[in-house]
Amino acid sequence: MTDEESTTDDVRADGSGIVAPDDETPTWRERKERTQGLSQLTYEYFERSRREDQDLRQESDYVERDVLAFPTWPHEIIRNLAIASFFVGMLLFLSATLPPHIGDPANPSSTPAIILPDWYLYWSFGLLKLGPLNPELSILGGEKLMSDRMYGVLANVVVVGFIAIVPFLNKGSARRPVEQPLWSAIGVGGVIFALTISVYSAKNLLPMNVKLAFDLTFLLPIVGGFITWAVLKTMREGYMYDLNRRYYRLRPPK
Amino acid sequence: MADEFIKGLGIFTASGLGWMVLAGWYRTPSFASEQQLVSPVELSDSATMFDTLGVMLMDALFWFTIIGALTFWVVIPAIRQAREALEERAQ
Repeated sequence: MTDEESTTDDVRADGSGIVAPDDETPTWRERKERTQGLSQLTYEYFERSRREDQDLRQESDYVERDVLAFPTWPHEIIRNLAIASFFVGMLLFLSATLPPHIGDPANPSSTPAIILPDWYLYWSFGLLKLGPLNPELSILGGEKLMSDRMYGVLANVVVVGFIAIVPFLNKGSARRPVEQPLWSAIGVGGVIFALTISVYSAKNLLPMNVKLAFDLTFLLPIVGGFITWAVLKTMREGYMYDLNRRYYRLRPPK
Repeated sequence: MADEFIKGLGIFTASGLGWMVLAGWYRTPSFASEQQLVSPVELSDSATMFDTLGVMLMDALFWFTIIGALTFWVVIPAIRQAREALEERAQ
């Protein structure tokens, strides 16, 4: 019986219990052998973080915890103050130097020529225009099962529903896109689809063929997702999964 | 490399901001118009020396934004690469 075995069962709250097993911990020599390119950069980055963490633990009188994090004061507060000051300063500067003219009041008795929702709802507005996808069923004698309006509303339900179940399908264990190329590709495709469907929502203003725009709305996300998937698959070679995972299991090597 | 990048980015954002403000003063008839920041410079008869200086500064900042960023992002790295290549060839 070694010391290690006897202490594996009880939970220690001082943070020392979550050391990576000795046989998985890279030696200093192993770490320093990664001397090239991306692996060297990754090594230096993690090594610096790990070293800072170690110094912090050794010098501080903080109670060690199971979760590795920086204390809110001063680290996070100082950083957040700096960021907040920057943006407040930018707001003051811009509002002082470029005061916008106040526009004419809206005229309630006339309908504007261009009707669009706020920009962040363009995607939803675009989903309402999916009429061409609504099939004419021969079993109904060429009738549509539901009106195009109803179809558009249901499309919103489908998209929002898919976004809602993503956290249940993928628990988010990846730290970088390379670790899960497929999900990264789905994400990129979704972002591109949000953009293309937003553009399509203003199809009456588009200076291009509407049918082409409709096809591109669905093709571009697939193309973008496939490119992302291919690039990330290629990047997997040379990516140090173990080092990354080990860092999140925390603790310096002996 | 990273240093050169942040120098270029600093020049690009800071002087770009300065140019945007001055162009908002001198080259934007209205924020509702379709020609913002790029319409011809209009200095009224009551323009002071400061307005003239502002227009000059606007043009200077515009070119500084472009040339400064290009210098740090393209020219200096290219010179370094070329120098390294020459040294390697000399060996």
